[in-house]
Amino acid sequence: MIYFDNSATTVCLDKAAAAAKEYMLEKPFNPAAAYSAAVKTERDLNAARANIASKIGADPGELIFTSCGTESNNTAIFGSLKAMRGKTRVIISPVEHPSVYEPAMELKEQGYDVVFAPVDMTGRVKLDGLAALMTPSTGLISIMHVNNETGAINDIDGIYAMMKRLAPECLLHSDGVQAFMKEAPVSCDMYSASGHKLHAPKGVGALYVRRGVRVKPYLMGGGQESGMRSGTSNMPGIMAFNAAVEDYALNRAAYRERILAVKERLYGNLKRIKDVTLNSPPMGEGAAHILNVSFLGVRGEVLLNALSEKGLCVSTGSACAAHKRGRNRVLNAMGILGERQDGAIRFSFSHFNTVDEADTAAQMIEEQVSLLRRFRRR
Amino acid sequence: MEKVLLVRYTEIHLKGLNRPYFERALISNMKRALHGLDPKIEREQGRIYVRGISEERFDEALDRLTRVFGIHSISPAEAVDKDWETVVQAALKLMEKRLSSPDAGTSFKVFARRSDKRYFMNSDTINKELGGRVLERFPELHVDVHKPEIKLSVEIREKAYIYCEEIPGAKGMPTGTAGAASLLISGGIDSPVAGYMMAKRGLTLSAVHFYSYPYTSERARDKVVELTKLVSRYAGEIKLFLVPFTDIQMTIYEKCPEKETTVLMRRLMMKIAERIARGEGAMALITGESLGQVASQTLEALCVTNDAVSMPVFRPLIGFDKDEIMDIARRIGTYETSILPYEDCCTVFVPKHPVTKPKLDELRASEARVDFSEMIEKAIADTEIMLIK
Repeated sequence: MIYFDNSATTVCLDKAAAAAKEYMLEKPFNPAAAYSAAVKTERDLNAARANIASKIGADPGELIFTSCGTESNNTAIFGSLKAMRGKTRVIISPVEHPSVYEPAMELKEQGYDVVFAPVDMTGRVKLDGLAALMTPSTGLISIMHVNNETGAINDIDGIYAMMKRLAPECLLHSDGVQAFMKEAPVSCDMYSASGHKLHAPKGVGALYVRRGVRVKPYLMGGGQESGMRSGTSNMPGIMAFNAAVEDYALNRAAYRERILAVKERLYGNLKRIKDVTLNSPPMGEGAAHILNVSFLGVRGEVLLNALSEKGLCVSTGSACAAHKRGRNRVLNAMGILGERQDGAIRFSFSHFNTVDEADTAAQMIEEQVSLLRRFRRR
Repeated sequence: MEKVLLVRYTEIHLKGLNRPYFERALISNMKRALHGLDPKIEREQGRIYVRGISEERFDEALDRLTRVFGIHSISPAEAVDKDWETVVQAALKLMEKRLSSPDAGTSFKVFARRSDKRYFMNSDTINKELGGRVLERFPELHVDVHKPEIKLSVEIREKAYIYCEEIPGAKGMPTGTAGAASLLISGGIDSPVAGYMMAKRGLTLSAVHFYSYPYTSERARDKVVELTKLVSRYAGEIKLFLVPFTDIQMTIYEKCPEKETTVLMRRLMMKIAERIARGEGAMALITGESLGQVASQTLEALCVTNDAVSMPVFRPLIGFDKDEIMDIARRIGTYETSILPYEDCCTVFVPKHPVTKPKLDELRASEARVDFSEMIEKAIADTEIMLIK
């Protein structure tokens, strides 16, 4: 099987699985308990926290462990606004992940003035358009670091600097689930990360909250995570997350090179097929691990099914079906419509992929695309 | 005191000398619906009594019976000894329970029925006596003989049965009493509803689904299995035939005029379904077609698809609007599954401008261009069969 769906989830690293196992079997202690074995576990927890925080230039006290990226995003959005007074406007981009978009829709229900920053055709937020929306009443801006559909990278540092100038009381949250460890750290008030996109298991995430930023907790109870996220610490998950982060930190340059080589090889092969358009930013500009292209005249879901049978796992940019055609919110917002939207496929890579796989995959795709195009709507 | 489900049945009483046959079928369907709940089912004077259900699974049993065709209504009743004071106390207790719900109402009427003619009071006296006792206990109530909000029923038989609820049943005829038919099931909203409606008239169902592996997903297939399961909650066991259709579809698209592809596809589906139906002893096909809904459901197109088979084709939705079909789908619980957005075999390869008024001889000629017989044999041979219950 060729797995090109690493933006959906990744295989767990051996080291990460071993770390999880260690804290399930040998050190199953609750770090909040009083005996010495538990205290040792708590020290491990804090060391993991410090290590992961350091990767984004944060202090340990600025990092909260959560259960996933969705929880991190929800906590950042609802928690920060709850702790704020007199602010009515919230700005997000129209291409945010559902775990930001849906909370924003809920805020709209509650009476917030939710507005969308304009994006270009790769899903990148246009800075001047965003600047025009920043008003003194703006309480929160949430813009993803790397777009999960196209790999477009937003200039979070630039947005933060601009916000400090135009709306200094406003907070900036960035969903970094597709970017954490893969892109250079950025400046913002809150930043979300997820373990399983980085070869840790599912069920663990993190939220950075800059010192001084007030966020009300989402879960209340035993007061873990400095009262910011109650619930018994997920030691196996957190220690596995830490192991995966450590591995990535040590090998970042090599991993990036390998991933980029696979992406460029695949795109080089695909672009030889007729009527293929690139939805991601030009090679060299977007995130290394995401490639989104459209095969015109082919239905993405049909191609995906055909490739799945051949052992190639990819994802559709558009979950389209006959009766839901043209309803992909993200691609619509980017202006990727019609045949281009129907035929969009996302490939996402990890350092476990090889250029040989890129060649084999391209060959499968070419065969299936030409077969399906024989039956295209004429 | 014992809790009993008192079941009334529908048109069965019209069936003269066949009546025992219909009753036996209904009871056997009820037994199957109540499988695992250890029911004791007895038939007596135009009623069916379900006893022996444990207290905690009583509601579940009631829910399951509301999906058995042939049942007009069901009343959860208390069965007690006929001793008058026992009857009164049970009735008062039932009223108390009923009145604890906020919208119970304030008017009532007692409906007595005395099958045991040796009982010391006649129906009229029971009505008066029990009504009086109820008023005495619940002075806030009043009697309304025309439009009572609470109907307190007492039936004096070998025991006394007391109830105040009448829950509507699924109506129709007991499944299996009208023969067998095969349903063409797609994964959309209409076909499960069509299957439900024909099962309601007493048909036993089998189901035939066409899929385009590998171009339709595993989830599309799971969806059809799930829809069949939802229909089987009413229709009982359904044998589901999953027919691989990709080769035939691709051949049609390559060899036949593009605008005719959908209608040709449907003709071949009907042929295969008819073959499967015959093998199952079914005497008719069922489709979810509704006149004019899409290009392949115009009168002309229906004539062309109908021509492909010799069995009768039942189209219970033919005169229904989409909204009406959706209402039934919601009521029987198939709607939410039907709207899951997966490509199915009819959407994978679709002509942009399908012919809406196909001419029979032209279509026959197009079909004759290719010898489909071998492909049909292969599709039937590769068909996967699942028993859904």
